[in-house]
Formats: sequence, structure tokens, C-alpha cells
Amino acid sequence: MSSNRRDFLCRAANGFGAMALMNMLASGAAKNGMHHPAKAKAVIFLFMDGGPSQMDTFDPKPRLRQDHGKKLPFQPPTTVFNISDQIFGSPFDFKQYGQSGATVSDLFPHVASCVDDLCIVRSMVADHSEHTAANYFIHSGSGFQGRPSMGAWVNYGLGTESENLPGFIVLESGLIPPGGLDCFNSGFLPASYQGTLFRRGEHPVADLTPPPGQADAQRDKLGLLAKFNKGVVDRFGQVSELDATIRNYELAFRMQSAVPDLLDISKETEVTKTLYGLDDKLTEDFGRECLMARRLVERGVRFVELLTPARPGLDRWDQHAGLENGHRINAKSTDKPIAGLLKDLKARGLLDSTLVVWGGEFGRTPCAQFGDNAPEKNVGRDHNPFGFTMWMAGGGAKPGVVHGATDDFGYFAVENKVHIHDLHATMLHLLGIDHKRLTYRYSGRDMRLTDVHGNVVRELIG
Amino acid sequence: MRSILAILCLPAALLAAEGDEFFESRIRPVLAEKCYGCHSSRLREPKANLQLDSRGALRKGGDSGPAVVPGKPAESRLLKAISYTDFHLRMPPAGKLPDAVIADFNSWIAMGAPDPRADAPAARKAPAGIDLDKGRSFWAFQPLAPASGVIDRFLLSKLQQKQLTPAPEAPRAAWLRRLTFDLTGLPPTPAEVDAFLADNAPNAHAKAVDRLLASPHYGERWGRHWLDLVRFAETNGHEFDNNKLDAWQYRDYVIRAFNEDVPYNTFVREHIAGDLLAKPRLSKDGAKLESPLATNFLWFGEVLNSATDSVKSKADNVDNQLDVIGKTFLGLTVACARCHDHKFDPIPTADYYGMAGILHSTAMREAVIDSPQRAAEIRQAHSRATPVIRNPGKTKLVLRPSDEIWEDFNGANWDHWLPTGEAFANGPHQGIADSAGKGANELVGSLTSRKFRMPKHWVHIRLNAAKGDRSLVEREPVRLTLVADDYKSVHFLGSGKGEFEWVSMRMTLPYQRLCYFEIVDRSRTGNIAVDSIVFSEESKPPETQMLEAADWREPSPLPVTIPPSSFGMIAFDESPANVKLHIRGSHQNLGDEVPRHFLNVLWRSPEPPKLAGSGRLQLADWLTSDASALLARVFVNRVWKHHFGQGLVRTTDNFGLTGERPTHRDLLDYLAQRFIDSGWSTKQLHREILLSSAYRMSSRKNEAAAAADPRNDLLHHFPVRRLEAEAVRDSMLAVSGSLNPELYGPSVVPHISRYQDGRGKPKSGPLDGNGRRSLYIEVRRNFLTPMFLAFDYPLPISTIGSRGTSTVPSQALILMNNEFVLAQAANWAKRVESGAGADNLNRVRLLFRQAFGRAPEQWEADESLAFLKARPLADLAHVLFNSAEFLYVQ
Repeated sequence: MSSNRRDFLCRAANGFGAMALMNMLASGAAKNGMHHPAKAKAVIFLFMDGGPSQMDTFDPKPRLRQDHGKKLPFQPPTTVFNISDQIFGSPFDFKQYGQSGATVSDLFPHVASCVDDLCIVRSMVADHSEHTAANYFIHSGSGFQGRPSMGAWVNYGLGTESENLPGFIVLESGLIPPGGLDCFNSGFLPASYQGTLFRRGEHPVADLTPPPGQADAQRDKLGLLAKFNKGVVDRFGQVSELDATIRNYELAFRMQSAVPDLLDISKETEVTKTLYGLDDKLTEDFGRECLMARRLVERGVRFVELLTPARPGLDRWDQHAGLENGHRINAKSTDKPIAGLLKDLKARGLLDSTLVVWGGEFGRTPCAQFGDNAPEKNVGRDHNPFGFTMWMAGGGAKPGVVHGATDDFGYFAVENKVHIHDLHATMLHLLGIDHKRLTYRYSGRDMRLTDVHGNVVRELIG
Repeated sequence: MRSILAILCLPAALLAAEGDEFFESRIRPVLAEKCYGCHSSRLREPKANLQLDSRGALRKGGDSGPAVVPGKPAESRLLKAISYTDFHLRMPPAGKLPDAVIADFNSWIAMGAPDPRADAPAARKAPAGIDLDKGRSFWAFQPLAPASGVIDRFLLSKLQQKQLTPAPEAPRAAWLRRLTFDLTGLPPTPAEVDAFLADNAPNAHAKAVDRLLASPHYGERWGRHWLDLVRFAETNGHEFDNNKLDAWQYRDYVIRAFNEDVPYNTFVREHIAGDLLAKPRLSKDGAKLESPLATNFLWFGEVLNSATDSVKSKADNVDNQLDVIGKTFLGLTVACARCHDHKFDPIPTADYYGMAGILHSTAMREAVIDSPQRAAEIRQAHSRATPVIRNPGKTKLVLRPSDEIWEDFNGANWDHWLPTGEAFANGPHQGIADSAGKGANELVGSLTSRKFRMPKHWVHIRLNAAKGDRSLVEREPVRLTLVADDYKSVHFLGSGKGEFEWVSMRMTLPYQRLCYFEIVDRSRTGNIAVDSIVFSEESKPPETQMLEAADWREPSPLPVTIPPSSFGMIAFDESPANVKLHIRGSHQNLGDEVPRHFLNVLWRSPEPPKLAGSGRLQLADWLTSDASALLARVFVNRVWKHHFGQGLVRTTDNFGLTGERPTHRDLLDYLAQRFIDSGWSTKQLHREILLSSAYRMSSRKNEAAAAADPRNDLLHHFPVRRLEAEAVRDSMLAVSGSLNPELYGPSVVPHISRYQDGRGKPKSGPLDGNGRRSLYIEVRRNFLTPMFLAFDYPLPISTIGSRGTSTVPSQALILMNNEFVLAQAANWAKRVESGAGADNLNRVRLLFRQAFGRAPEQWEADESLAFLKARPLADLAHVLFNSAEFLYVQ
């Protein structure tokens, strides 16, 4: 479908259901993928804000323990903070798990129990060494503010299957990544594709409901409004935009009732709640996000992003200091909920059609970073976009795979590098989209999520 | 003879055969397997234009020069790339080759890089390059075609060719409503509607146009349109969303320029070179320079707080500036030529770097912009102040090996510092830079240093300054700031103890970045005096030995009044120089130096331009002379777009080959010529357009025309348009009686709801923005108002000449449930209750007249009255806010 036609339909019948409608017109493109058969229908992106360390999680580097305290045998590239070349061995132990025998650190015992479902990429590469640009980059394929986020692109391409909910929803537990809500923007794409932030609590979405006690009033108001609007059409003539604006109220009204239904987890079993860790203070926040993600995917939401939960005294996964303690708390907060999500999706037959992606905007250096005058046990690691780990699960990603490798120190990806652009291309591929053909004309160019880069990594596809 | 030759040649031939064998067995397979995927003649676009599948192409190399220098491994780029020694040149990208293979390549190059393959790849079309003469034949680069007539004749003739008829005239009230929104962004008041309907004079329409053009709200409306083009924002975005100081001064400059109908060519010249003009414009009260304020637009882009690559960051900023300049003024996507010649338009990469050099030679500074007269008044008052003893004493610093005194202010003048304002006008004295002059706290000013790369990890500054508040960051009025890569990075503040003290700051982020210092005193009650600036690797300042005691007095308030000064963020020329062409857009791969110049496709002289300083003044001259036809076309098209919903060229920011062609080229050229002939008067242009019959057309389309021309390219009816975000909010304030008509001034902090979060979150401003019009709500990049975003407010990224008009459920949710909307409905009901008395019918009539500029029809009144039996008036007001008639203009 041409982008003009897409624009037209967008304007004429915008809103959540609109793209689904459009896709029905385009003979079920969403179900079958846009350009080729789709393996995944939805994406859950577990965004590990701050940059978890690869050599402490999914990429074991025994050499670091061997050479602990020595200098790196090469000159490291410029990093954001004080350059350090003193090797720092991982304080965590690694073990092999599952049939695939992939090695995972003791930070993630629950996720490790799902290792045969994971497609671990140890050779990720990104372009930026500092958070904000790196966050924009992993979300939008550009280090600058204001480009469409991948959730926006996916919805632009496929639409949502939900009649009542936005197609791109972001869940948080007290932390918004550097770069702010622009990480989830629709950029030059129409506003309907922007990510909607669902906050914790009873009123997750802004302006969703009328003030307390005003529900009846709202019904009366909408009744009168419908009459007045009919008069406007008589006066102005039939105009598609007017028509869309008027019908927009029906969509908005449906969303008002869909959200409370989404939030009501009273019908979830205790077993399920425990699976996600809702019974534990530490895992409750991210557990709720993970459970909501499943419920959103069940309701046809196309792209769900989960943000790292706030932990007192910690700055996300960004442990420039106190890495051991910080990573332990972050991992504990997310490990069981993530495993719960994977297991629950699998048990419900949803994992095959849901692509789960885990990772941060970059990884960390193998070197010890000391704060000024800080004791050695307070050591941390600096940012490292040159080699880090992400993993995928479900949605057609090849299970039980470890792909690519970093050097002996875990600093640089050296084998089968996968650039963020390649990851985007591969994710889109699994969704049935050719990343080179998902374009939007802006500024005289056909813009893409992958800019002019990106290759689908066939080895990651099951 | 023959035998000798044979003997001599034999080993060589043998060697050659051996070399070929080496190549075929050790080198070729690696090239084929690891390199041809991106570097072969079979590809449509080999990466970096490098082909490795023939001898000739390999030796010739790609964009960066030869891949191999036979016999010289150390000079061979190919070997460097596969050795992974250069951080930015690592091939193959998927991973380093085994050491043995790299050793093979080394040996192969050392033996002269024998290569038995064909000298040239199979015939392949050479890149065509850009043919400027051919490029000039494109309509947008042609001179204006002579055309005469009136607007309606151009439109009618096209309609008649298709046997279509234009829509009939719209009702007069609808025209006035359309006009009022177009010129002021506000609805007409019932009194204005009544007066217009009662005016039977033949020039009633012209009078209405003139009245609205004279309204100060006109400048607000059209100023906001302009702000869309220059990605106006008041914060830096990125991680901490820090403030861009004085951005509101630019916003006010734009509003004033529209209200005063400053000729557009002057307006453009001021944007490019307002600080360099021989005769700058002054503000109406004569107190400040108006022209330099325009140059602030260059710096409204995103600013990184911690770029790890300083050079790239600068190149990115310049790219954004060029993008905005190209699109805003010329409707050209110049920035597309950053990495390669423009793929469609006649803009070679050399033109891009020719213009980039001008911007690399331009810097921003925080400056006093007093007019010469105001400066003289201040000087006069200052001269009458009684001198205050401010003797810092004499000191000796005991330097350690890593210490470097970067500045001690012992010179007789500022040397590498640039002062503005009276505070620093008299130069250094007694080895210090003192903003109190002879002893007057009332003096303000700034002192900006030259640029340098921060060489050390610590900076120690000995200063004596009013107590600073660190939480104000760049808004602290008395400070010494280190600006790193255009980011106000580190602030050195005083403690207000009245004595000199060391302030030490670690250069964690600024280290090795392009920096300068600025000493700023904006306070009329405080001052700052700086003694020494020391760079060091030591975290503690050097020991200071007092050789002679200080005698330091703080000034008392002056008996004479020092008139106030104005600050602005303005351009100045800094170390003008050409830049080198960035091969494939990379600052790590530099080509030849490119003399600064403009777009050659629009350059008429056979000689290259003669530049002074950065070349901005000549750029401004060129834009308004050689490029003036395009400059005028692009601008009149923007004005047309805002009046008719769509431009004559639909792609308002792209007049290039990928843009759309004008629907009425003759009309576009006619308007452009009229515009130039009128002395570039925007208001005259409005007048001509607004008084056309086309502008009076009804928005009801006839079926035949709609079927024949569904895009309304020929303008057979007037399009129905949705109000922009700001107009929606401003209309609510206007009808509810809550609109605060105050013009200009510092922005109002936006209201921040609990659904907005992230670093740099400001303390929330008032829900109703103090009733100020929307363009006075501070544009905080990371905290844009959700209601605005829902109604397609543009992200401040680059030029946006045409906003979207999407329809999203959040619009309905906001209009139904947002607390601002509900509060305005309640205000409006109160206003109507007091204005229309107790009678419900009167109230309903007044609501309709205020909201829609018309009385309710009978059925509407009946429905309203029935509704009011159960619901309060505020609920009815709320329904009208939600009505499509409130949001759309016909």
C-alpha cells in the first residue's frame, strides 16, 4: 500500500482501530505480515535502562578474573567518564544451563531456566557512548531527538488489532530513561502512532476518565454533542476529517472502559501472580509490568515496552560504582518476572507469536571505574557500545542459540557482529516487514527505522 | 644480449609468478569471501565507492584514496583497516581476521601487491556527478516568469480549462471568522461580527483585513508559524533539558517583526548576519539592537550535555543549522548533501561544506545588545559614579608541575576575551576582571574567552563574587561558566564572602572538548571579579602567597540611575576558516579543503564569492539577491499555505526535485514578483490574498468539481481546516474570558501533569498558563504540553512548514476530561451567567455567539434548553468546546 493511501486512511479513520480497518481493506496484511508471512504479531521490549554489563550477565569472560587488576593490553576508546584500563573480573559466577548449555551468571537463575527459549546475541554493537543518544538510537535508529520509535514504526506498518487500546504502550515503575518520553515518540509519523505511557496506579492514562461522579454527565454531554455535530456536518458539508473527529469520540469512550478491564487482575490465579513475583516486594513492580504486558498482547496491542523499575539508591543499570550490589538488586527485581512472562506466554501458546527482546542501550566496559576516593569494593564499569549482549525469545527467534562473541575481555564484538540497525531489521523481519520497504516520506527522503543500514540476521531466525 | 636479458628477467618472472600464486592462494579468497560483499563492481553502490575486485580499482581505492600502496604496507589503508589498529577503520566489520591472514596481507603488499587480475572491472557507468547547467533548468531555480493579472484570474483560468466552477461566496460571518482565525489565531467577538455584518460599505472587507493586520495578535499568530520553521525551543533537550537563555527574546523579535511588517529580505538578512549589519535596526524605544537577536535561531537545536565525540557533535550541530537554513529560506534539503552529492537536486557535497565552513566560523555568545545610545547613557552614568577601592592585593601562586596559568588578567587589555556591556568595558585592571567597573553593582555585561580544547582534568579559578545559587544552573545571574561544545557545562560560582577564593571543578565531561569561558553579570546588585584561571592535573588549587594585602570594598547603590540593559544570545564570527570535505559525511575521513561559498546552482557570477569574516554577511547578500526568486517563492507559498490550508507547492519545505510541482506556477511567480516589488511587505501580500474572491469561497464543494479534482488542486472550494493546537487552547481562553492579552516577555513555565516525567522536569507552572496565549508557554523540549502534542504541535527538530492534522483519541479524551478544559468551561459559564442574566435562552445565545460567531438555530437552542434542565451551564459550555464547529473553521 502506498504511503499516500496510508496517510489518507489514517486521517480519514484514525485511531486505534483504524489501522486494523485499513489492514482488513488490504486483505489481512496484519495477520500475514506486511511484506512476507509474519512469525511474530507482537513485541514485548524489556528495556534495561542504563546498560547492564554483559560480562556480569550473559557473556562470561574468565580472562577478566585471571587478569583482574592488570592493565588492558590495548588502548581503550574514549568513554564518557574517566578512562580506565584496569581490568575488573566479574564478581558473579557463571554456570551452564539447559539443553543448549548456554552460560549465564548467577544474577539470572530464573531467566537461565528458560535458556533453551532464548536467542542470545553476545555481539551487539551500538553507535553512542552516552545514555540519551544511545536511548534514542536503540529506540529509533537515530541518536537524535524526534525520530519515530520502533513501536511507532511497527504500528505504522501493521496497525493494532485492538479496537480500544493504543498500539504502542509503555509501562513504567518510577523511571523514565534519559531522553524522556521522546524515546517513545512518533517523530514525523502521525501522532496516532506515538507510545502511550501507562503509569502505575488506578489512573494509568492522562485524561482517560471524567472527574469522579461525572460519568452520567458525560453520557448526557456526549448525547448532546452528537446532535450538535450532526448539525455541523449539515452546515460545513461532508468532510472526511470532520467525520473522523466525530467518530473519534466513540473510540475514546471505548478506551475508557477497556483500561479498567485491563487493570483488573482479580481473575488471574494466585499461581500466575506468584509466577510473576507479585507476592514479593522486590519483584512486584516489574512483575506487574510483565503481567500487564501479557494482558496487553492478549488484547491485540502490537508493541509493549517495559521500563526498568526504580530502586532506592540505584540509578537504573548504570553502575559506574557499586556494580556488584546494584546489578544484584536490578537483576533480582526483574529475573523472576521475566522468567514468569516467558513461561506464561509459552503455556498460553502466545510465545510463538510474541517476540520478547531484552537489553539495554549499551553494555559496560571490562575495566574498573572508581569514583573519586572511593573504596575498591565500590567499583563500577563505564559505558560500552562496542560489544554487549541482548537476547530475544519467541516470535520466531531461533531458540537455544548463542550468537556472536566479544573478545577475551568482552570489550569489542569480534565475531558475527549485530548492529542495532541489524537488530531492528531482524525484528521487523519477524513481524513480516521488510525494513527497506517500511518507509515514510519526510524531508524529501523515504525515511526508515534502519536509515540506510541494517541487515536481517538470518542466523537469529528459527 | 638476449641471453643476458633472459638471465636478468628470469628471477623477476619467477618472482612475479610466485607473487601471483601468493595472491591467488592467500589474498584473493579472503577478498572474495570477506570483502566483495560490500566492495565489488557488481554492487550498485559499493560501500565508500571502494571496489576490491579488480587490480585497477583496488589500487585506485575509494572515497578515502588508494587501498594499497604497493611495497608500503604501513601506508596502505587496506592493511590498516584489517589490522583493527585505527578505532574508526575496522574491516571486515563483522570481526577481525586471523593474525596469520593479516600477516599475509602485510607480506603481499610488501612484495609489491602483485595482482594478476584485470586492470579494470567490467565496464561500469561512472558516477555522473552533478550537471549544474542542467540543474538550473528546473523550475525552482529559474528566474520569476513575468505574469500579470489578479489572483482570481490565474485560478479561474485553470478551473475553466477543466470546465469547473468555483464554489459560491461564503456567508459574510463565516468569512470574518475564517479571516480572524487566519490573522490572529483567535475567534471574532460577537461585537466584531455584528459590526462587520452591519457595515454595508463597499470596502467593508478591506477594513476588516486592515483592522486585523493592525492587531498585535497578528504578530503572535504569524510569529508562531515562523517559529515552526526554525525549530524554536527554549531548552536543550537531551539528558537534562537545560535552559536556552533568552530564547524568548528571539520569539518576541519575530512577533515584533511581523507586527511592524519588517521587509522580509531585511528579516532574512538579520537571521543570517544581524550582528554584522552596518546599520542594525533598533527597538522602538531605541534602547537595544533588534537585528542581532534574529541570529539566535541558529542555536535552537538539540544540544548534547556529554558528547563523547566533540568534533562529530559540532558537525551534527552545523548539519542541523544547514538543514534549517536550506529548508526555511530556500525550500531545499541541502543537508541531504552531507554524505554524498544530493541524489536529486543539483547540490554537490562541496556546496554543503562550502556553507558548513561559514557556520563552523560562527559562534554564539551571551551578549549585551544595548543600542549605541543606551550604551552611551550607561557610560555617562557610570562615569559619574564615585570610584570604590577594589584592590585585590598582590599574590604569588606556587605552581606544581602540572599547573598552567591559563589567564591572570595582568595584560593591559582583554586580548583574547570579548566584552559586551559596560561592566567589562574598561578592560582589566590590577590583574583582575571586575564586573563592577569603577564600583557599580548596577553594571551588567559579559566577557567571553577564545575557544580552546580543555587540556587538563581540573580547573581552579580564583574569584570574588556575589553568592551564587547552584540550583539555578545557567540561570544564575552572576557566574563564570565553562561552555563545552556549546553546552553551558560547568559553573564557577562565588560564595559572597567579599574576598577572593578558589573554586575548583573537575573536568570530567569537558576534558578534550572545545571550550570557552564566559563571565556573566546580569545582576544589578551583585558583581564578579576574577583573578586567575589555572588548569591542572591536581585536584587542589595551587598555594597562594599574599605579597600585598587586599583592600576590597563592595560598592553601595549608586546615586545616579544606570538605565537597564538587554541580553541576547547572538552570533559572532570566530576564527573564520574553511572546512575540509567530509568524505561520506565522516569527520574522521577528511578530503580537500572547500572554500566557503553558497549553492552554485543559484550563484550567478563566474567568480567565487569574496568573503569577509565568516562569510555570513555575503551569505545574507546572496540569499536576498541571486537566490531572491526562490527565497520569495518559498515565502509567498508559506503565506498562501496558511491562508488556504495548502501551498501552491504542497511540499512547503521542499521545492527540489522530490518536492511537488506548483499547482499554479504562474500565480506563484506573480505573487513572488508582487512581493518583491512591494518591498517584501508581508502585510501587502496578505491583503492581496485575503481580498481575493478565492478567499471568499464557501467550503461547500460541488460534487462535480470534487469528483474531477478530489485534492482540490485547482481550488474549487475553500477547505475546511482544523485549528492548530495553540488556536484550540487560545480560543477556549478567549471565549471563557480568561485570555490574558499581554504581549511579549519571558515564557510561562508549562503545567506538568503526573503523566509527564523524566530528567530535567521543571516545577509545574500554572494550569491555565496565567491565561497567556499558547506561544508564551515555554517550549521545553522534553516536556512539551500533551494537549499541544495531541493536536500535532511540531517537535522542534527541524523546519516544519506544514503541520500534520491527525485525529487521535487523545484529542477527544483531552477535550472531554482534561482539567484545563473543564476549568475553562466553568469560567466561561460564569462569564455568560453574569453577561446574559438569568434567562437560559439568553445564555445559550451568548454561548453560541461567543463560540461560533453566530446565533443558535432554533433546534440547537431547544436542545440546549432541554439539556440545561438537568445539567449546569458549565456542562453546556463544555459540550460546545467539544463541538466540531469549535475545532474546525470553514
